[in-house]
Amino acid sequence: MRSNMLAMILAGGRGSRLKELTSNVAKPAVHFGGKYRIIDFPLSNCANSNVDVVGVLTQYESVLLNSYCAQDQRWGLDTKNGGVFILPPREKDSGFGLYRGTADAITQNIDFVDHYDPEYVLILSGDHIYKMNYAKMLEEHKKHNADLTIAVMEVPMKEASRFGIMVTDETDRITKFEEKPAHPSSNLASMGIYIFNWKLLKDMLVKDAKNEESSHDFGKDIIPTLLAKGKRIYAWRFAGYWKDVGTVDSLWEANMDLLDPNSTLDLSDPSWKIYTQDIATTPQFIGETASVEHSFINQGCIIDGDVEGSVLFNDVRIEEDAKVVDSVLFPGSKIGKGAVVTRAIIGEGCEVAPNRKVGSKKGDITLLTKGEDHE
Amino acid sequence: MSKILGIVSPENDTVIVEGLMDYRPIPAISFLGRYRLIDFAVSNLSNSHIDHIKVFVKKQPRSLIEQLGDGRQYGINSKRGRLQILYNDLGGMSSLYNTDINTYLRNIEFIEDADEEYVAITPGYQIYSLDFQKVLAQHLETGADVTVLYKTTDRAKERFIGCPALTIEKGLVTESYTNLGKRKNAAISMESYFMSKELFIKLVREAHAASSAYSLRDILRDKVGSLVIMGYHYKGYFACINSMNSYYKTSMELLDYSTAKELFRPEWPIYTKTNDSVPAFYGPEAHAEHSVIANGCRIEGTVINCALGRGVIVEKGAVVKDAILLPFSHIGKDCHVEYAVVDKWAKVNRIKEIRGTSSYDVAYIRRRDNI
Repeated sequence: MRSNMLAMILAGGRGSRLKELTSNVAKPAVHFGGKYRIIDFPLSNCANSNVDVVGVLTQYESVLLNSYCAQDQRWGLDTKNGGVFILPPREKDSGFGLYRGTADAITQNIDFVDHYDPEYVLILSGDHIYKMNYAKMLEEHKKHNADLTIAVMEVPMKEASRFGIMVTDETDRITKFEEKPAHPSSNLASMGIYIFNWKLLKDMLVKDAKNEESSHDFGKDIIPTLLAKGKRIYAWRFAGYWKDVGTVDSLWEANMDLLDPNSTLDLSDPSWKIYTQDIATTPQFIGETASVEHSFINQGCIIDGDVEGSVLFNDVRIEEDAKVVDSVLFPGSKIGKGAVVTRAIIGEGCEVAPNRKVGSKKGDITLLTKGEDHE
Repeated sequence: MSKILGIVSPENDTVIVEGLMDYRPIPAISFLGRYRLIDFAVSNLSNSHIDHIKVFVKKQPRSLIEQLGDGRQYGINSKRGRLQILYNDLGGMSSLYNTDINTYLRNIEFIEDADEEYVAITPGYQIYSLDFQKVLAQHLETGADVTVLYKTTDRAKERFIGCPALTIEKGLVTESYTNLGKRKNAAISMESYFMSKELFIKLVREAHAASSAYSLRDILRDKVGSLVIMGYHYKGYFACINSMNSYYKTSMELLDYSTAKELFRPEWPIYTKTNDSVPAFYGPEAHAEHSVIANGCRIEGTVINCALGRGVIVEKGAVVKDAILLPFSHIGKDCHVEYAVVDKWAKVNRIKEIRGTSSYDVAYIRRRDNI
């Protein structure tokens, strides 16, 4: 099915508070939920919303992310006229153009968007975990005859100053926009998800690029300018699970949400699957000495020890008498005989030596990555 | 391009997996959580750099068409390579005439037109892990007319019943008989054959001339002595799924990772079609031991000595032991299931006890049944 909306996913950020997890991969490529990478969420949402041309704007440590996203059949986006197109900064006649901001990343790829000649452009972030039907958002956008529609959600008032905050009238038209305000006047936060009419956005981007005082950012520059011009900007209210996993602790928490019966993130809904890489591994083998309780476990795991309250990615090996509690184990990690892992994230391919203790019941989440695993 | 054309052969009428076979051809039966039986044959061919494969189907091709697609999930280049599904549209009515030979004959132009010099013929219902390039090397070295794969066993009294067995002298096949479990030791034919494409086509025609109900196995038995048929001694894991008992026993045997790792070698992956299922979820009261579990399962009860397919649900208080639960089957609250095979989408709910008595007497719950 064709759509007259094209998506651009901003996936260039590092996410430096994720520490070693992003020392050589970009944040959108970070693992989540036993099987996925974060960017699987916006890509699957696009596929499920019939948005089949998706540009992915990458910059920081982009090699893994680029090769991951290029395999567009993973999300069923390898349609006749669609696809996932990787757009890292490129060398141009005017020199090498690093992306100077979120808006600049789109500006530098106006030619790409024009090639597809869409009526609407959907701007997304590659960093967020949520399920959303962008087709419904587009319907609202059309109904309001809007120039721009911003997806918003209610956040606790005390956290509101971390977000871009919207004030709306009774028709949900946005009357005021505050970027990370010290004293927020509402708790409606922008989710960084925008639908623009492409003609207008293109015009704005071209002008913004010439403005030397602009930081070339959607939240700081483009949206305030549109608002000042009196353009029709509407809020589209979203209620449901949405998380920006900025830190090691919040990444751990988001994984633990999958074990919480009250969590609103349901990955098993057959009508809105999250698609990802198809890894050729065996099913999971639970051995005679194993005990598995309250956990989320992917294929390829071989478990001979105890697992409780944990999320295990593919091909994790847990040897006899090892105990893993409230932890997240990334692909191919191995917990040696008699080792105990508590409230930790164990990085890809890490090996915890036999009888070693990692993590503790209180305090910050312990992160163990390859290289420090043998210490 | 490879010199070898891969042929996945259909089951003949001695292969009977009661219940399961009513709904699909034998090669399409779900196996060990995430696979279908045919995944092994196609993965072995693909891993052996054979990218032109013809899969012959006896009946009800729907599930195999969905599973195999254009073969890209098996690593076959969808432009350069080819995975073709062929079946005998005339043979479906009569099991006597619905033989492998008649299926080949019905589609013989597709085999004749292939550019490859050799054919590797392998059944779609056997479990093994093998490089056909090694078979080609031996075939060329010995100068055999036909090379047949075999596996030696000292358990022929209880395993491989109904499979053809071979007497082999210095590598040469001198006799072919059916294993009826009389002797402990036997060389079991894996019914995988290697020969020139030309000879294969000749044998298909000769078999048909000899009898309209002949299979490739029959004509090769007749040719022992007149053709040079050499054995290729395969030493890895092998199982033939030709009965409910062998299906059950093979699944149970592979619950042990120490056995399974002979079959699932990291450098020789067994591919299948992804279902995009979530990882398996174990509830707070779940207990699982000695089991193989696929993604998409939700386990709230107890699972011991089981193989669980994708999307299986075991509710709280339910106990499942020594059982095979096919994809999307559902075991309701407080139900006890033992020595059973529960087919796809079946739901055990009202009847609280389902018990077979042993591996020879397994309770079978039909597809989509609600009991």
